[in-house]
Amino acid sequence: MAFLEAVQGFFNTLGSFVLLPVFIFIFAIVLGAKVGRAFRSAVIIGVAFVGINLVIGLMWGALTDVSQAIVQNTGIQRDIIDVGWPSAAAIAFGSSVGLWVIPVALLVNIIMLVTRLTKTLNVDVWNFWHFAFAGSLVVAATGNLALGIATAAVAAALMLFFADWTAPAVQDFYNLPGISIPHGTSTAYVALAIPVNWLLDRIPGVRDVEADPETIQKTFGPTFGDPMILGLVIGLVLGLIGFIPTIAAEGFQTFLARVLQLGVNLAAVMVLLPRMVQILMEGLIPISEAAREFMQKRAANREVYIGLDSAILIGHPAAISSALLLVPIAILLSVILPGNRVLLFADLAIIPFVVAMFAPITRGNVFRIVIIGTIALIIGFYLANDIAPLMTSAAQAANFEMPEGAALITSIGDGFIWIPWAFTRLGALLSWGGPIIMLVLLAVLIFLYSRNTGAWERAAGGPAEVFEFEEAPGD
Amino acid sequence: MAKTKVVLVACGTAIATSTVVAKAIEEACKEAGINVRTRQAKAAEVPTLAKDADLIVTTTPLSKDLGVPVIQGLPFLTGIGRDQVLKEIIEALKD
Repeated sequence: MAFLEAVQGFFNTLGSFVLLPVFIFIFAIVLGAKVGRAFRSAVIIGVAFVGINLVIGLMWGALTDVSQAIVQNTGIQRDIIDVGWPSAAAIAFGSSVGLWVIPVALLVNIIMLVTRLTKTLNVDVWNFWHFAFAGSLVVAATGNLALGIATAAVAAALMLFFADWTAPAVQDFYNLPGISIPHGTSTAYVALAIPVNWLLDRIPGVRDVEADPETIQKTFGPTFGDPMILGLVIGLVLGLIGFIPTIAAEGFQTFLARVLQLGVNLAAVMVLLPRMVQILMEGLIPISEAAREFMQKRAANREVYIGLDSAILIGHPAAISSALLLVPIAILLSVILPGNRVLLFADLAIIPFVVAMFAPITRGNVFRIVIIGTIALIIGFYLANDIAPLMTSAAQAANFEMPEGAALITSIGDGFIWIPWAFTRLGALLSWGGPIIMLVLLAVLIFLYSRNTGAWERAAGGPAEVFEFEEAPGD
Repeated sequence: MAKTKVVLVACGTAIATSTVVAKAIEEACKEAGINVRTRQAKAAEVPTLAKDADLIVTTTPLSKDLGVPVIQGLPFLTGIGRDQVLKEIIEALKD
């Protein structure tokens, strides 16, 4: 471990803007990418980190100011800022665990494919950040890099199980043959959706409620469906609440200017943050292509599911319209939940990811998706409140600049998700016991699932007649 | 110089998977000598943006009847059938 610690010490002085590009370049070459392409993409990743840092700085500063103003003004304390999954992804990849997560997760996947513990070939290298996120929080809690890497490895394995389990449901409902979804934000609350849906099925009256996706999209789409407008409105509303007392001291003109500036700044964040992530994404293309080819060569002659980003599910009307309804619900929850300090902002745009996998379970019933989504968000709020200090120190460790007297940070993806929370709390409490307990949990899940595969898959919303993807004759 | 074609690339967020698809289309079109501009969009935005596009490539389900040809972009993500789809796209963009 001394070697790892020494390496980490040197790395910390370089910072993620320099390090991640170097690592990505090396991995891309090892996996067989062309040198010129690998080099260019490595530099783009550095550029993307600089860009994300600028936008996070803008958002963090603006929201810290107004949340302090709101506390002084109303006594309502919402000083944990939702900086969005793009920031969480950048923090995760920029962390000490993030440097190792790509080879580690690929290795875990190869081992599990060879030993037939999974059918999923996860080619969605971008979303390895979810595993690095859990690992980086463990490092923030314990300072132990090896423990963080082990956490990321177990998290990657757990996600392959979730992908296998939900694959028939996804393939049937979304008509995506051969695809599975090993996505941290989307698969986590499937375990909640199944019992709640079962319960809703048994409540007379409630079980027959349906909501029409078309009407919902037409009614809520223009405001809640457009992150830029949402950012503007949130900025104006927060500004009004926070800055009203300044009228007396500074005059109405200054007040008005501050409110309008906040609105435009937050609208800008909503537009710019995704753009920066596009740049990061562009930089990851050569390595993810090389990884895909590398893995597919080694998985030849096996029937595998290709693991992809849940972004491919989000276009479905059930996912879009239930997420639109959940945006105002989430904002309301952030105001009324007792003890909550989270100020929702950037991740209001990613609620479809949280609920997309509920659609097969509820057969696309928007009303039920909204109910389950609300419960998931309530749980998520409390997890996020609990984990925010660690997420904030993970951001600092990854060299993201904080404004003076900055608020704490969180994000719905994956600050609201139970999986990284469980890894982090167990890891902080039991050190190596944490990933070991999660590994045992995974082993139990895989055992039960393999004993009764059909029933498990139907529970997750799979079709009544299970696809027979098992060995073809003569295989 | 031929008119620049506009390809609308749709996915759930207009961030992740559509970037992969857009870059692949740009590279292939450059090789084939087709002037192309890609624009990334969320699935929900597609009906409004469709009228300015010559072709839509999507990785996520879209509503039907957009008045513009739609091609499935999933092979760019899975790697299976990628060359076939690129051929289709280039065919669709040729005058």
